[in-house]
Amino acid sequence: MQAMAEAGLLQATTKDIARRAGVAHGTVFAHFRTREDLLCAVIEELGARVTGRLHQLASGDHGLLALLEAHVQGLIENERLYTRLVAERSGIPMRAQYTLVMIQSAVSFHLSAALDRESRQAWRGSRPPELWPLHLMFNTWIGLLHHYLMQADLFAPGEPSVLRQHGPTLARYFHALVADERKV
Amino acid sequence: MALKTCIACGMPMGRPADFAMGDVTREYCVHCARPDGSMQSYPEKLRSLTAFIVRTQGLDERAAETGAAAMMARLPAWKDHRGKG
Repeated sequence: MQAMAEAGLLQATTKDIARRAGVAHGTVFAHFRTREDLLCAVIEELGARVTGRLHQLASGDHGLLALLEAHVQGLIENERLYTRLVAERSGIPMRAQYTLVMIQSAVSFHLSAALDRESRQAWRGSRPPELWPLHLMFNTWIGLLHHYLMQADLFAPGEPSVLRQHGPTLARYFHALVADERKV
Repeated sequence: MALKTCIACGMPMGRPADFAMGDVTREYCVHCARPDGSMQSYPEKLRSLTAFIVRTQGLDERAAETGAAAMMARLPAWKDHRGKG
């Protein structure tokens, strides 16, 4: 996973991967028939880690801000490989491409539940009017995060994690935007 | 309570309210149950998961359906599904 995070999903060679794992080159193919199988397994593991961590951090009916912070924390722990997935998604095998949809589905599930809880509290149990479609709000949050991830060299040059530096502020800012739009 | 995962959609089920009919012995969640408590069929789950992705992520419906099918293919309830209804 580290080799692909550093060199890129499509650039990392099986020789690099074997060297990092401390195994002979041929051993890689004893576990994975092809490089494509290995790549798909790595992406699947990434998806399991990000969604598992989010479920773990988001359990307990927290508010929207806590959910956003949990999302950021889960991404920080897998930041380089996740950034590679976002950047290279269209070039990887189809079965791995949809891992990103699976990750975002877990995020949108928790985000919409947290927003619903917060809105009902603010509106004393009744459902507030939905001014804009939910997906626009979700995509605004994801777009904000991805913009910082894609330009990490500009927002946090030399730092191991752009989200560690900027994520908490982005979460608070987005929460304030949503609170203003939803009157929560 | 040990965390179980819904066999039909992958959602973690940590509280009784997460389980179908609030029954913690079930293997599937409240979102994958029909009103009578039985588990939704493959086409029903594909339809509802696709609608969820469109509503919350705004994907094109065909892309959302492909994504939903890819997600379902990894879950125990649908692993053996090969385009059956």
